[in-house]
Amino acid sequence: MLRLLTAIIALASVCAVRAEEMVPLKLDLPKPLFVGTPRPIKVSNLEPAQVGTPPPFMVPAGTVLLSLNKPATSSDSSPVIGELTCVTDGDKSGIEGSYVELGPGVQWVQVDLGAPARLAAIAVWHFHAEARVYHAVVVQLSNDPDFKAAVTTVFNNDDTNADGLGKGSDYAYVETYRGRVIDAKGVTARYVRLYSDGNTSDELNHYTEVEVYGRPVN
Amino acid sequence: MPQTSSHWLPLALVAVAAMLWRGEGLGARPMHADEANQAVKAGELLESGRYAYDPRDHHGPVLYYAVLPVAWIRGERTLAGLDEVTVRLVPAIAGAACVILLGLLAAPLGRWPSLAAAAFMASSPPALYYSRYFIQETLLVAFTLAAFLCARRWWERGGAAWAAAAGACLGLMLATKESAPVFAACALLALAAAGPLPARPAHARGGLAALACLGAALAVAALFYSSFGSHPAGLRDALGSWRPAAARVLSGDTGHEKPWWYYLRLFAWQRSGGLTFEQAGFGALALAGAGIALSGGPGLLRWAAAYSGLVLLVLSATPYKTPWLAVNLVPGFALLAAGALAALARDRFGAAVAGAAALAVVAMLALQADRAARVYASDPRNPYAYVHSAPDVLKFRPLAEWALARTPGGPVRVISEEYWPLPWYLRGLGNVGYWNSPPEACDGAMVVASADLAGAVRARLHGPYDQAYLGLRPGFVLVVFTPRR
Repeated sequence: MLRLLTAIIALASVCAVRAEEMVPLKLDLPKPLFVGTPRPIKVSNLEPAQVGTPPPFMVPAGTVLLSLNKPATSSDSSPVIGELTCVTDGDKSGIEGSYVELGPGVQWVQVDLGAPARLAAIAVWHFHAEARVYHAVVVQLSNDPDFKAAVTTVFNNDDTNADGLGKGSDYAYVETYRGRVIDAKGVTARYVRLYSDGNTSDELNHYTEVEVYGRPVN
Repeated sequence: MPQTSSHWLPLALVAVAAMLWRGEGLGARPMHADEANQAVKAGELLESGRYAYDPRDHHGPVLYYAVLPVAWIRGERTLAGLDEVTVRLVPAIAGAACVILLGLLAAPLGRWPSLAAAAFMASSPPALYYSRYFIQETLLVAFTLAAFLCARRWWERGGAAWAAAAGACLGLMLATKESAPVFAACALLALAAAGPLPARPAHARGGLAALACLGAALAVAALFYSSFGSHPAGLRDALGSWRPAAARVLSGDTGHEKPWWYYLRLFAWQRSGGLTFEQAGFGALALAGAGIALSGGPGLLRWAAAYSGLVLLVLSATPYKTPWLAVNLVPGFALLAAGALAALARDRFGAAVAGAAALAVVAMLALQADRAARVYASDPRNPYAYVHSAPDVLKFRPLAEWALARTPGGPVRVISEEYWPLPWYLRGLGNVGYWNSPPEACDGAMVVASADLAGAVRARLHGPYDQAYLGLRPGFVLVVFTPRR
């Protein structure tokens, strides 16, 4: 009886989600910082070429930016350049002073939303002043600040398991001013953690901005 | 000249510290494209014993020959066996030699000012950085300082042997880099500009000395450019190399053009991407030394001011500018800075102030040098890491070995408009090829393509491939294809 009740509730939830009105996610994009567009690369597990403006990322109506000025922590407590406040301060310009630079190798930043929320999208700008690719990008969600329990991985392009979180099959991508919008798949979580392992220009890890979109859970 | 151990010991300690600093962790920084290109050339000489001067893309032969004794001592006999430490030990040793030579050259300024000059050279960011960098510049500076020292010895003592030694050093300068005559000419012009020279010994014979000097210079240069007699055409090529080299440098379309104040800014202050690199204290002290020289300071200081001014003028007026050329300014600036300290230390209070200033400037230089040469050694914000390879280049060798283990026989294909330093990292691996545009057959155990060519390369690959992005240098991304299993 209990199983049947649970199944009915789950089915109802799915139907409710499907019935939600979906609207385009509106991102406030910074200005491009390097002239010229990299020529498209049509290969299988790399980012497909985008010609013109990409299609909008659809999110449920009522989705709001949850992360603005929320506290950010990191595996590197003493960033090389900048402050961890850069991660959520709303400044995506990419110029000096708008990003935090973490040390070499695998590093993460974590945003605390203050309360669990149903998350729709995570937008991340690592560094967009030149064409570069960040290695082993993994994005995880959890209600556990230590990410030891109930962790959901929503993005993983770490094809060599450099981060030690398991191999992923998502696309590697070239950083641009458009950032990268990641589907959070409606997961309910309070904490968002983003990993990387250096980039194609240097061994350091940068975050210009992380934006977490969703709806608060009452 | 210092005669006793109390004079020699501090200079020797500074030189030892300089050598340890220059030799520490030489293999850590990824190879710059220019380093890799020259290391491959040195490796081919090591392996085959053959070298032919190439006037189009390479400088003089000394750098490559200088690798040989270091490689032999370290038990390396082939290109595949040669490593980064061996080739970079060559400029490291030359860099430590520069410290000693400058300390000796500065001796007329006094015991402690000459030591300060050596310490400035030891801790100078560009001098340290390019003493750990397999290019010609530090060797050129070392031979230049040796030539100055020998010439001064000849002037002070007479004797054709010192003149011949100066000539041999001049020959090594000429066989190191085509720009050597610029520095020799600046030194001679500076002599004229510096005013009256000290008296020469009565027995000194100028004509014989000039012959000895010129003969030694030509003989040494000819030995190297002719590959020690095995490639006489190298002599002809060397004679013909200066005009096209000068035309290229002066043409203004090499991609290395920079504003006239580029070198001045290197010795002052600059900020990029949140990182500050500065030598303002050292620059200010050198400027003070130049002021003292202009107001009638000692002869060495007047000569150093004239020499530095001329070299700075030539380098700044030339559109082609690279940061390693700044190393040529360091000895002159160090002499001027040491001269300022000497002028300051006229009484006990002045000596205390000069000592404190020297320590502060050396400490600041050392801090900056450590950041430049170790912490941010390949960071694009580091003004000395010029168009530097990305740390990702270190991943290509293990990746290629892995790919060849999966698909013995290869081939490994590198298809890119630019690919250095990859030939260095893939040295010794069988069946590795390089293309500037996609060949008809692109399949291989590992295929590396530039981002621009990756689409065309992928279209010519058969079957499924895995792909990954790796960086060649900042802003230049490569795509690595490996057959999917």
